[in-house]
Amino acid sequence: MKEVFSMWKHTKMVVLVALCAGLYAALLIPFKAIVVIPGITEVRPASALPIVFGLLFGPAGAWGAAIGNLIGDFFGSLGAGSIFGFVGNFLFAYVPYKLWHSFGFKEPKVIGKKNVIMFILIAILGSMACALFIAWGVDLLGLVPFAALGSIITANNTIPSIVLGLPLIILLYPRVKKWDLLWTDIVDESELPQGGAKSRIGGYIMIASILFGLIAGLVTALGGGQEMFSFAGEAKNMMVAVIAGIGSIGILIGGAMQK
Amino acid sequence: MDMFLYLDKNTIVHRLDPRTKVILLFCSFVMALMFTNPYILSAIAAIIVIYGVMGKSLANLKRIRMILIMIFLLSLVLWSLSYKGGSTQLLGPITLEGILFGVATGIKFDAMIISGMVFLSSTKMEEISLGLVKMKVPYRGAFAFSTALRLVPMIVSTSYTIIQAQSSRGLDLKSGNIFSRIKKYIPLVIPTILSVIRNTNVFAMALESKGFGYSEERSNYLNIYLKKNDYVFLSLGVLLTIGCIFIRVVGIVN
Repeated sequence: MKEVFSMWKHTKMVVLVALCAGLYAALLIPFKAIVVIPGITEVRPASALPIVFGLLFGPAGAWGAAIGNLIGDFFGSLGAGSIFGFVGNFLFAYVPYKLWHSFGFKEPKVIGKKNVIMFILIAILGSMACALFIAWGVDLLGLVPFAALGSIITANNTIPSIVLGLPLIILLYPRVKKWDLLWTDIVDESELPQGGAKSRIGGYIMIASILFGLIAGLVTALGGGQEMFSFAGEAKNMMVAVIAGIGSIGILIGGAMQK
Repeated sequence: MDMFLYLDKNTIVHRLDPRTKVILLFCSFVMALMFTNPYILSAIAAIIVIYGVMGKSLANLKRIRMILIMIFLLSLVLWSLSYKGGSTQLLGPITLEGILFGVATGIKFDAMIISGMVFLSSTKMEEISLGLVKMKVPYRGAFAFSTALRLVPMIVSTSYTIIQAQSSRGLDLKSGNIFSRIKKYIPLVIPTILSVIRNTNVFAMALESKGFGYSEERSNYLNIYLKKNDYVFLSLGVLLTIGCIFIRVVGIVN
């Protein structure tokens, strides 16, 4: 997690944050009118970008996804939920690159069965982490039930990040590598992922937190009268808030353990 | 093509410090989120609209009217059909309480979006960036944010150029259903991303040649400071918010 803050001392990484944010916002804005949940989310082919930016640019991609989502919100859906959208989209890019390195994968060369399967898994987990945090926050605010938002965002993020993200990263990696723009080629050695047993444990904690927070949260919400992909039931369910909150905090703890 | 909402006018709201406007934006969100009563929410929305009138920002309502209408109608329909706990049955699953909840939620979302629109209509990007720095956001973060904002129209323009180039080579983007049309855009995304990312090294060199990052403290051409009107607006905003919290906590209105 140290690299998330120390990366700001590298001018190239600051530039990459701005470029990633601009690209993400530019791809989000045209689809703002195709609403899925009024005022909260819409059809998002741009959801392919956070995982790609995360794997290629690491923490710069994560900050870029967060800022890009906020800029996208400026064009029609700026509200209280935007704060959770900022953090959720940060996690959408942060979780994939942390897990990629913690489980022994080096550069994001997604060729071969093992690498493709890992890409798909981290795409799903990144989407779920994003859905968990945003659904938790928006449910706490009493705007939209957790079950509705959690299920919709998971689907809305997972499908583009796998279907569109996979060809994107295969095509972008060779050129980004050639231009020395991979984040592992820019930052200092002390900021690079070290791997090891502690990182793996942190990775497992992160995965467990995501699965617990979202799945247990959904089960609890469904038991409380909410419905998936539907607005039935009331938001602000205290048990759901606690479970999803534990999951969200667990993601940060797992991230901090991964060096 | 002007994608941004900023309206270059000289009004009392435009002259407010960006920090004041951020705090007022935050206060409007807090007030809107506290209630599910459509009458109270309408009153809050009316206050926001009056604020917008003072800033002559309501011209932008035309640009976002479709979003506001869609959000209101979708909220009304979705919540009317799915709201549970209503006792006044109207038609099938639809109850009066569900309709009122749908109306309240639609007004809530629209009020927050209009508040955001008034903020963006009356605040320049440079002021937002400087306001962030004055609120102790590190300069590099504020710089990345303001640069990203500036890049969005350039990236959209680049993608239009690429679309025209590919269309002239026979790519048909207008036919087919929405999914097949989205699929046709995929080959356009790669050159757009690459043409933007390619400039990273040159951009970084240009920044460093001008002393970017030399010092954590940076002087600015633009200066902002709180004036009498800022304190008046801040006081009003904070008092209104406290009043709403009091009404909500004491239980006078839900």
